[in-house]
Amino acid sequence: MARNNYAIEFQDVSRRFTLHHERRSSFQDWFIGLFKTRGEAEEFWALRNVTFGIRQGETFGLVGRNGAGKSTLLKLVTRILQPTEGSVKVNGRTYAMLELGAGFHPELSGRDNIFLNGSLYGFSRKDMQRKYEEIVEFAELQRFVDMPVKHFSSGMFARLGFGIAVNMDPSILVIDEVLAVGDSAFQQKCFRALDNLKARGTTILFVSHDADVVRDFCDRAALLVDGQLTDIGAADDVVDHYQQMLQTGEQPFRLLRIRALDEYRIMTQQIAGGQEQHIEVLIRVPAGRNTSGLMLQIDLDRIGGTTLWSTSVALPAELPLPEHAIRRDEDDAPDTRMARLKIDRLPVRAGQLRLVGSLHDPSGQLIDRTESLVDILPTDHAQTGLLALDHSWEWNDPTEPAPVESPEGADIVRR
Amino acid sequence: MVAQAVEVVQYRSLIYNLVTKDLKVRYKNSVLGFVWSLLNPLLMTLVFTVVFTQLLGQTIEHFPVFVMTGLLAWNWTAASVSAGTKSLIENSSLINKVYFPRSILPASIVFANMAHYLLAFPVIFLFMGIERMRFTPWLLYIPIIWTVQAIFLVGLTLLLAAMYVYFRDTIVLVEVGLTAWFFLTPIFYRVEDVAPDYEQMMYWLNPMASVIAELHTILYYGGVPDPLFMARTLIQSLLLVGLGVLLFNRVSPHLGEHL
Repeated sequence: MARNNYAIEFQDVSRRFTLHHERRSSFQDWFIGLFKTRGEAEEFWALRNVTFGIRQGETFGLVGRNGAGKSTLLKLVTRILQPTEGSVKVNGRTYAMLELGAGFHPELSGRDNIFLNGSLYGFSRKDMQRKYEEIVEFAELQRFVDMPVKHFSSGMFARLGFGIAVNMDPSILVIDEVLAVGDSAFQQKCFRALDNLKARGTTILFVSHDADVVRDFCDRAALLVDGQLTDIGAADDVVDHYQQMLQTGEQPFRLLRIRALDEYRIMTQQIAGGQEQHIEVLIRVPAGRNTSGLMLQIDLDRIGGTTLWSTSVALPAELPLPEHAIRRDEDDAPDTRMARLKIDRLPVRAGQLRLVGSLHDPSGQLIDRTESLVDILPTDHAQTGLLALDHSWEWNDPTEPAPVESPEGADIVRR
Repeated sequence: MVAQAVEVVQYRSLIYNLVTKDLKVRYKNSVLGFVWSLLNPLLMTLVFTVVFTQLLGQTIEHFPVFVMTGLLAWNWTAASVSAGTKSLIENSSLINKVYFPRSILPASIVFANMAHYLLAFPVIFLFMGIERMRFTPWLLYIPIIWTVQAIFLVGLTLLLAAMYVYFRDTIVLVEVGLTAWFFLTPIFYRVEDVAPDYEQMMYWLNPMASVIAELHTILYYGGVPDPLFMARTLIQSLLLVGLGVLLFNRVSPHLGEHL
């Protein structure tokens, strides 16, 4: 997987806010401060060690409770905030709808506001003249476009804002919870427009409290809990995880996810055969419990059902937190833990594998089971068949180390 | 700083739209709105003329032209400084929702007030015509003075807007400062009449004094401007822009959390 395919890339990003209980915000405060000691400042990490990438053309959902850091993350993407640590890379022109009608001036007409809004995002007058008709048509505001927007209804406001957003042809569109407005016919229209953008390869980053919208609309999603990236993966899986998290009461142990990781430790559905592999299992541990005595079993199955390999391990009492969820303090630890398996050399050449994780209690009773599919991509085309084995031909001097790489091997045969 | 300048140029349509927005809102989209906006400098000129010539016995000839020249240039400065200082705070909702080069906010206020100034400027010619004063070819030099004043104001508003983010009573000091500055600028008096000993010092310390003195030279006295005079003011203004950009750049990455 080429790294430069990412439209948005977060590398170990943290964002700190300092809450001053007695902030000096005026010359008067400074003057008083000369004679008075300063109040305590409190630090608050809105995001902590977040690493992930959104691929170009992907529709990516972001879910999490209020205050989980979703808005901070969007503001980092849109350059409104700078990260305290780590780096944020955004490749492409971004249009962000963080609030409907942000940047509209009430005294100006709809027409003037379209041009003003476009220029806020760096679009030239010429760009806007080209898009103007489409925007007005989409927003169904032909009759009202010369009226000051202070006289607009909230629905008209929403239509104008959305009309601009979907007609700007950004390569990255960021939408924060703004689809909840307008009548259902217009919402349908918005989703059709977003589908069109998707089809044209626009990367969409989407925040919504409406889990079903994320499920239907997004390819992948991420779950933020207290500023930490707790889960990332297929939208369905992540939304399931989020909804489970929202349910209250005693939770049993659950296997949330089993996934292969690529060489950058990012979850993937495609791995190269014949190489070192990592498999990660996410386990939800209920508050106050630990995993001692539980057995974790990992199977690699062929699609037909043949188990190629199986292993099982007694879990230690304390499992590590997922990579991107570094613990802040004991009371606040997220309930998701990680078990990671390293396979030095996966001797499978090509095909599809089913990764199956299952969790058993000490008596052998199954607690939970999860599975996912992974495509093995062939890397060595000199071999065929299911397996990729380390091999060499021994017709050279046996004291010399034999060439292992098959392409060179083929040359030797021909000679 | 170069990359920053390139970015501002890329956003030039934003400057244009913010300036036209300001003018449209101020004139309420009508010619009469523009005429109405001239009432303030006209009435102020009337007040100064009555007070100084009738009550205080001021002896400057063609006093309305003298006052009007300084007053219009001063109004550009006063409006830019007080609105420019507030420009970041007043647009905090925008700054929290959209990224764009933040320096455009104070700068566009300077340009909007400049446009307003330039539209009102012909009123001076009208007064000169009424008073039957001399028009010289040196009128063509005036755009240079406008440019110098614009650069000076951009530097000053960048500086003050950045300060206002951290010190919320900056605006109180700015309003007091503007009043003092108004009286220390030769708008309704001649420096040589009032304080001849301080004339040089005033021109050195107060770029607005230089700007208005040069406008008086051309428009009121019909004389020849001294290029070195504006060159010095230009250098002062550029230094102020440098300082303003420096301070503004330290503040602007943190705007999202302070507003």
